[in-house]
Amino acid sequence: MLEYARFRWFKVAMALAVAAGVAYLWHDPPLKPYGGTAMGYALGTVGALLIAWLAWFGVRKRRYASRMGTVQGWLSGHVYLGTALLVVATLHTGFELGWNVHTAAYVLMVATVASGFYGVYVYLSVPGLLTANRGDETLEAMLLKVADLDREIRDKALSLPDDILREVNASLDGTRLGGSFWRIVTGRDRDCPTAAALARVPELGRRLSGEAATANHEVYTLLLQKSELLARARRDLRYKAKLDLWLYAHVPLAVALLAALAAHVLSVFLYW
Amino acid sequence: MKLLVISQSRNRAGRTVQVRKEVTADWIRVGRHAASEVLLADPRIALSQGLIVDRNGPVYTEGEMGTTTSTTRKAVRSVRLSPGKAIDVGPYRITGVAAPAGYTGAITVELVRPAEESAPVFLERARRLTLASLGLPKRGLALALFALVAAAFFLVPAGRVLDLPWRAPPGAAMASDRFWNPGPVMLAHQPVGEKCEACHELAFTRVRDVACLECHARIGHHLGPEAKPAALFAGSRCAACHRDHKGVKSTHRDDDRFCVECHRDVRSLANGAQSQDAADFAKSHPAFRLALPADKGVRRVRQGAGPVQESSNLVFSHAVHLDPAGVRHPEKDKVKLGCEACHQPDASRRGFEPVSMARHCQDCHRLEFEPAVTARQVPHGRPAEAMTVVAEFYANLALNGVRDSFEKAFGVPGEGLLRRPGEPGDAARRATLAMAAKKAAHVSEEIFEIRLCRTCHEVQRSDGDRGTEWSVAQVRLGHAWMPGARFDHASHAQSRCSSCHDVSKSKRSADVAMPAIEGCRECHGGSQPVAGKVTSNCLLCHGFHDPRHPWDPQFKPRSATRVAGGTPRAR
Repeated sequence: MLEYARFRWFKVAMALAVAAGVAYLWHDPPLKPYGGTAMGYALGTVGALLIAWLAWFGVRKRRYASRMGTVQGWLSGHVYLGTALLVVATLHTGFELGWNVHTAAYVLMVATVASGFYGVYVYLSVPGLLTANRGDETLEAMLLKVADLDREIRDKALSLPDDILREVNASLDGTRLGGSFWRIVTGRDRDCPTAAALARVPELGRRLSGEAATANHEVYTLLLQKSELLARARRDLRYKAKLDLWLYAHVPLAVALLAALAAHVLSVFLYW
Repeated sequence: MKLLVISQSRNRAGRTVQVRKEVTADWIRVGRHAASEVLLADPRIALSQGLIVDRNGPVYTEGEMGTTTSTTRKAVRSVRLSPGKAIDVGPYRITGVAAPAGYTGAITVELVRPAEESAPVFLERARRLTLASLGLPKRGLALALFALVAAAFFLVPAGRVLDLPWRAPPGAAMASDRFWNPGPVMLAHQPVGEKCEACHELAFTRVRDVACLECHARIGHHLGPEAKPAALFAGSRCAACHRDHKGVKSTHRDDDRFCVECHRDVRSLANGAQSQDAADFAKSHPAFRLALPADKGVRRVRQGAGPVQESSNLVFSHAVHLDPAGVRHPEKDKVKLGCEACHQPDASRRGFEPVSMARHCQDCHRLEFEPAVTARQVPHGRPAEAMTVVAEFYANLALNGVRDSFEKAFGVPGEGLLRRPGEPGDAARRATLAMAAKKAAHVSEEIFEIRLCRTCHEVQRSDGDRGTEWSVAQVRLGHAWMPGARFDHASHAQSRCSSCHDVSKSKRSADVAMPAIEGCRECHGGSQPVAGKVTSNCLLCHGFHDPRHPWDPQFKPRSATRVAGGTPRAR
């Protein structure tokens, strides 16, 4: 993503930002630097075109048949030019901010780019963790294994005393994966019956002896395996959610930015 | 080793189907991986689940090949697959069978727990595993934000401004266009600051000069009509220099840039320009051009080409009046005069009150025409009246004068004719009045040409039919020496007068005591700061708008009260 085509987009973005900076320093505005000088209009036009192009990425990445560059290249450009936009738009403001639609557009732009930075961080760090966590299994395999373990546990637990069986059955009947925003995003389930059973089965089984103790130990071992699988599956959900979650900020902010940008441009020229 | 692998499954009819496969290898891989000799194609199986090796018969081992990611079977297992011996590998069961002749061993592999048969209960509780599956409204949120921003920041205010169909009723809080205000307007504009349309009269049209002139109707143009300023400044707008919404202090930049753009080479832009090129007070500024009195108005003379002489028609020596030893006074012994004796600041303290004969000169320069007899003075400024006063005085003295005065004035013994006993005859009356008239003419000549007027004025004598008359040349004082510059004496009050106006040796009124640019430059630098000098840009001394030349002589404000409330105008 970042090093695509030997940092082609990094170079383009760097050139754009440096050019904007040099132009800003070179320009001698009539009163003070702001968006309404000749340089302000120029930087504003560049910024608006950048925003339009960056927003078009949302369309381009869904056009699987498009032959206009690769999505990987587009993403690389999206990241670097989005960063350059931060420079261009800041210089366009002339560091003049206030409680108005113009600054609202700027703040939305900064928020969108900042959420994008987080997205880059997530895209760079999470896939490695996701792969390491999965090993050579898929999530589906983990779930099937848990189901298998459940069956095995059910078989083995039949001979255990009622209080232990109750804990085990709670794990078999109540353990869940995902299902709520919080559980997916944190990768935890505070009320996980399997964890509760794991905590209590050894204690309850202490009084057992002989075959019952062996069966209890086997069930405990299986519960432990199930718990480990669940933890991995939940981490998997969490990582995948992490890859998605920032987009729930990035996309709405970007769309709101388009509205604010339109309001900014129209209001400026309406009251030219 | 050579192993017979019998894959066992059941067909739809429930019968057992066996597929036999012969595998020959030193060690046989068991797993999900397609290259595995014993392929267990189920997601619950690891890629490389285990190995079957030959240790005097087939032995299944697990966990020695780095398959530790398989948490279900972490511990190393090793089972000799002797006939009848079975081991569960995930959902599969591998059972050793009797090896046919020529084989090291034989196994059956059977899927005993197909995925679809696994307890479905858990899988049902693990259905919604992604954020998308929760139905979080990414698109809905985006559209809602878009609508909110567009409505609050544009549609609602634009409804009012453009009079669109959804225009909010007057006074509605949210209909304000204040969100469009990019910054505070300058203090003087704040009365109209809340009324955007006062300046932004037409939508999608830049602020026009007429909007400015509505209040600034009397603003001056840069040049008089003879220079055709409209053509010279064609295409330029008020807003070219004046930008509002940029802070409460000012709308223009207080530096030389705009001036120098033209005045660096002013004649290339304005052929008839009388000013010379200027770019910076310290480095590139012409010598001052003084305004000197002329027969009609003033003439402009630039300093630097020899001494400048003026012609005020006054005879005056600063050197005499400022003599450190003092000057004679009619009553006192000697008086020492300073500048302030004649040059007194006006009310603004920027300039000076005009010098006046009555207030500043007459205490010494009394206009007594017959001091031996009377302290009466001739009126100043009116020669004909002065002559009348003199004539009437001597006529009256000749007729009514007491002896002492009569003798002192006329230098002959006697007294006024009417004081003598008896009725004077016509001949005596005529002789007396003739004597008085002769004396008056003599005194008039004396006061105009020798004693009084001539001291300070240029006097012109004319002998005509009506006798001798004198005229005094008009004194030309009190004009602006540098009309194009703003100078404030009050802000230079810490300096002595003589540091700029050295008149102590000036003996003639033609001497001009205006300072040259070099004198100013001793304290004033250019537009770039220099230690020890006052940074001085063009606008410190000059203004752009000349109040003598209205910007648009034809302009008439449409409504004088537009600032206060304004009349809503059709767009």
